Amino acid sequence: MTPVVFRPRLAAAALVALTALAACAPSSGHKDTPASADQTITFWHGWSQPSELKAINANIAAFEKLHPNIKVKAVSNVTDDKILQGVRTSSAPDVVSSFDTTKVGAFCGGALVDLNTYLKADKVDKDRVYVKSMSQYTSLDGNQCTLPLEADTFGLYYRTDLFAKAGIKSPPKTWSELQADAVKLTKQTSTGYAQLGFMPNFHGYENTAGHTMPQWGVTYFDSNGKPTMATDPAVKPYLQYMKGLQQALGGYRKLEAYRNTFGDEFSAQNAFEAGKVAMQLDGEWRTANLDQDGVKFGWATAPLPVPDNLADQYGRGWTSGTVIGIPAKSSHKPAAWELVKFLTTDTNALVTFANTIHNVPSTYEALAAPNLLADPKFQTFVKIAQDKNTVSPVPTADGDAYLTLIEQFSYKWEAGQVPDLQAGLEQLDQQIAASLKQAGR
Amino acid sequence: MTTTMARPDRVVTSAPPKTQRRDDVLVWIATHAVAIGLALLFVLPIVFLLLTSVMSDRQALDGSFWPTTWQWSNYEHVFRTPGFLVWWRNSLVYAGVGTALTLVSSLFPAIALAKFRFRGANLTMFLVISMMMLPPQVVIVPMYVVWSQDLGLSGSLWPLIIPLAFGDAYSIFLLRQFLLTLPDEVLDAASVDGCGELRKVWHVIVPMARPALVAVGLFQFFALWNDYFGPQIYASENPNAWTLSYGLETFKSAHHSNWNLTLAATALVMLPVVVVFFFAQRAFVRGVTLTGVRA
Amino acid sequence: MARRLTIVGFLSPLLLGFALFFVYPLCATVLYSFEHYDQINPAEWVGLQNWSYVFTQNGDFWPAVRNTVWLVVVMVSLRVVFGIGVGLLVTSVRRGRGIYRTIFYLPYLAPPVASTLVFVFLLNPNGPLDRVLRAVGLPAPSWFNDPAWSKPALVLLSLWGIGDLMVIFMAALLDVPVEQYEAAQLDGAGAIRRFRYITLPNIQPIILFSAVTGVIAALQYYTQAFVAGQVASGVVTGGGTVVEPGYPNGSTLTLPQLIYSLGFQHFDTGAASVIAVVLFVVAMACTVGLVRGSGGLVSTRR
Repeated sequence: MTPVVFRPRLAAAALVALTALAACAPSSGHKDTPASADQTITFWHGWSQPSELKAINANIAAFEKLHPNIKVKAVSNVTDDKILQGVRTSSAPDVVSSFDTTKVGAFCGGALVDLNTYLKADKVDKDRVYVKSMSQYTSLDGNQCTLPLEADTFGLYYRTDLFAKAGIKSPPKTWSELQADAVKLTKQTSTGYAQLGFMPNFHGYENTAGHTMPQWGVTYFDSNGKPTMATDPAVKPYLQYMKGLQQALGGYRKLEAYRNTFGDEFSAQNAFEAGKVAMQLDGEWRTANLDQDGVKFGWATAPLPVPDNLADQYGRGWTSGTVIGIPAKSSHKPAAWELVKFLTTDTNALVTFANTIHNVPSTYEALAAPNLLADPKFQTFVKIAQDKNTVSPVPTADGDAYLTLIEQFSYKWEAGQVPDLQAGLEQLDQQIAASLKQAGR
Repeated sequence: MTTTMARPDRVVTSAPPKTQRRDDVLVWIATHAVAIGLALLFVLPIVFLLLTSVMSDRQALDGSFWPTTWQWSNYEHVFRTPGFLVWWRNSLVYAGVGTALTLVSSLFPAIALAKFRFRGANLTMFLVISMMMLPPQVVIVPMYVVWSQDLGLSGSLWPLIIPLAFGDAYSIFLLRQFLLTLPDEVLDAASVDGCGELRKVWHVIVPMARPALVAVGLFQFFALWNDYFGPQIYASENPNAWTLSYGLETFKSAHHSNWNLTLAATALVMLPVVVVFFFAQRAFVRGVTLTGVRA
Repeated sequence: MARRLTIVGFLSPLLLGFALFFVYPLCATVLYSFEHYDQINPAEWVGLQNWSYVFTQNGDFWPAVRNTVWLVVVMVSLRVVFGIGVGLLVTSVRRGRGIYRTIFYLPYLAPPVASTLVFVFLLNPNGPLDRVLRAVGLPAPSWFNDPAWSKPALVLLSLWGIGDLMVIFMAALLDVPVEQYEAAQLDGAGAIRRFRYITLPNIQPIILFSAVTGVIAALQYYTQAFVAGQVASGVVTGGGTVVEPGYPNGSTLTLPQLIYSLGFQHFDTGAASVIAVVLFVVAMACTVGLVRGSGGLVSTRR
C-alpha cells in the first residue's frame, strides 16, 4: 500500500476564505501547557442523573482544591459516539470518559494518548493499583490509552421467596442447575406464563451473548488475534445450551411474546422488579434500583452459574466499566493527566463515588476500603470483580464490532435461522476477521 | 422530498339528476362516515400524546387511556430540565436565521433561472433538481471532515447555517416556478426606467413574489425546525448547540422509563409547528397554490 | 457584457453552493472510497479494498439494501394509494373540507423525532394500541420489537404523515375537467369506471411524480428508522452494552443509517463513502427518470 497523505483541501481553503472564519482553523504543531500553569481543562463524561452528577462534581471540586491553578469545565451526558467524534475534531476536549469498555480499541488507534509514559513518570505501578480484570480492557497491544474508573460486574438476581416456595435451597451454581431451577419456577399457561423462572432470550435485557458466553470460557480470539468462534470447543455447547434452555421453558416464540410484555429495563416495570421472572442476569446497579423502587418481595444476589466442566470456577464473572483517557489533540495533557490520575487512583474519591452510584471501584485499595458499601447483596459483585477467573471484553482495533457481529449471530441462532451451526460460525469468523482487517492499518 | 401544490377548491361534481338523489344520500353518509372515522384515527395519536403527558410515570407505562391524576407538573419538569430552553433557542436560531438566509440566497438564482435567457440555463436547472434530490447522507462524510477538522466548527450551529447562504435547491426550484408565472414585461418596463437590477428586485419582484416567499419561507422553517440528521452530525458534540429535535431523543434516553415526561417534551416540540401553521394557514395555502410544480 | 455579469451575479450563490456542497464533497467521497482513513491518522490508498469489503464481506450491506428495497416497494406504493384515497375522500366531502384537510395535513408537519416517539409509545408492547387490539380479541404484534413487524410499523407512521401527498392529489383531482365527469355520468358510467377511465389518466403524471420523489425519500430514509430502533430497543448507553444497528435484528437498518454507523461510529470513512457513492448513483438515476418521464411536471425548460 502506498501511503497517500493527500486530502482535497482546496474546497476547505475556499470555505475558510469565504466564511472569513480562518481564525477558527486549527493551529498546527501546538505545545502543551505545563501542569503548573493557570488553565482550564475540559472534561467530557456520560453521567447524567442528579445523584451521579453530584458525585462526579464533588470529586472534581476535590481535585480543584488540590490543584488551585487548574479549573475543570465538565460537560455531562456525552455519549460514546459523541466522544469518538469529539476526540477527532480540532476542538477536542482534554479528558474524556466513556461507559463503553468495548470502544477502548477504537480509542487506541491514535485518538487518545498512551498513558504509560505518565504512569512511569509518576511511578504508578498499574498492575498493583488497578484491579487486574479491569485493567485488561483499558489497553490495546500494550498501548495504555485509557484507565479504569469504576466498573460494572454482572451476577444473578433471584427471588428468595419463590425459591423457598419451590423448595430450592440455594442459588444455582451451574447452568444445568439453573435450567432445573428455572423449569421448577416456571408456570406456563396455554398462551403465556403465569410465572417464568428465567428469560433466556438474547434480547432479554442484559442476557446478551456478550455477557453470558465468557462464563463458558469463550475467549473470542486466539493468541494471534484470529477469531475462534468456529474452533473454540466451548462455543457450540454454549449456544446449544441456551437453545435447550429456551426449549425447556416453552420455546423461543412463546418466550419472545412474553418478553415483549416486559417494561423498560431501567424502570420499576423491569421484569424482575415487576415479578415476571424469578431469576435475572443483571449488573450491580440493580441493587440500588431494587432498594429505591421498594420492591415487596425477598431477593438476593449470587455469582453467575458456570458450565459443569468449570464447576470449580464458580464465583467468576464478567466485568466492564467506565474508562477515562486524554485525547491526542488536547493541548493541556499534563494537567489532564493530573485529573485522570486523581479520579482513577484516589481511594476516597473512588469509594464515595462507588457508594453513590453503586458501581464497583477499580483499584485494589478502594475495593478493600472499610467504608465501601457493606451490603452483602452488593458485596457479591465486589467479590466477582476480585475473582481471579473474572474476564472482561477483549479490546480490538475495531472496538466492539466483533461483539455486535456475535450478538447478531446469536439472534439468528435463537430464531432458528442458522440451519448449519458449524457453517454459520465459520461465516461469523470470516465476518469478524474481515471487519478487523478493514479497521486495521 | 415533497412538492406541494393545490388549486382553489372546486366542487367536483355538479348537481346530480333527481333519480340518483337517494343513492347520493347513501354515498354522502358513507363518505362522511369514512372521513370522520379516518379523521378520528389521525387525531387519536395526538390525544393519547396529550393525555399521557399528564399521567404519573407509573400509569404512563401500563397503557392507560385516561389519566387518574392530572399531573401538570410534568410540563414544569420538562421546562426545568437543564438545557431545554437552550434547545429552544438553538432551534429558533437555526430555523429563523437559516430561513432568512435561504430566502435571500435563493431568490436571486431563482430570478435568473426564471427571467433571464442565457446559455446553460437548462443545465443549471438540471443541477438545481439534482441538488434537490440528493440524499444528504451522500456528501455528509467529507463535509463533516471539513467542518470538524479544517474549520474546527463542529459542535456548533455554523455548519448547519452557513451552507444556507449559498442557496437552497428546493427553495430556488419553488421560487423559480412561481416567478415563471409573472409576466416578463414587468421587468422589462422597469429596466427602461433605468432602475438598477438590485432595486428592480427589491421594488418590483419582492412585492409581487411575497406570497411565494412566505410559503417557501414557511416550508424551509418547518424543514429546519424538524431537521434531526444535521444537528445529530454537527451539533451533538456540544450540548449547548443541541436543537429540540436532537435534544428530544436524548431526553428520552435520559428518562428511559418516564414516558409521561418524554411525551410532555414531545408535545412541547410539536406545539410551535401547530401554532405557526394555524397562524399562517392562509398564507400557507395561498403560497402552496402559487408555487405549483407545474411550469 | 453587463447583462452577463448580472446573470452570473444573480446565480453566484447557487454556483458557489454547487461547487462547495455538491461537487467538492462528491469528488472527495469518491476519493475516500479508495482510501483507508479513520479521521485521525493520515489517509492511505487501498484501491478497491473498501469496495470488496462492503459488497462481499460487510454483513449489514445487503440486509440494508433489502430493507431499502422493501421500503421502496411497500411504503412508497402504499403511500401513493393512500394519498389518492385521502385526496379523493377530502375532495368529495363538501362540508368541513377545510377541517379535514387540516387534520390530515398536520401530522405531516410534525417533527419526525416527535412523531416517531409518539408511535413507539402507542405501539409499545404494553401500550394503548396493544390494549385495544387485545380487548377486541385480535393478536397484538410487537411492532417495533419484532423483526417481522418493525417495517410495517414504520409504514403506519408514514401513512399518518400522508399530508404532503394528500395536498398534491387534492389539487390534481380538483384539476380534472368537470365536463369529463358529466359526460361520463350521462353515459351511465359508475363511480369505479369513472375513476378508472377519467380520474386515473388525468392524475397519472402526479402519480409518477409522487412515486419517484417517494423512491428518493425512501433512499434517504433515516430519522424515523433510527429513532424508532434506538428508542424501542430500550438500550441506554451503559457498561458494555452494544447498540444494535437497525433494531430488531437489523430489520430497520437502511443505507443512510449504515453510512452513519460506518462513518460516524466506526470512523471507517472508506466503507461509508462506498455506500454514499452507491446511493448517489441510484438517486441520480431516479432524478434523470423524474425529469425525463414526468411529462413536464418537473421541467428544466421555461
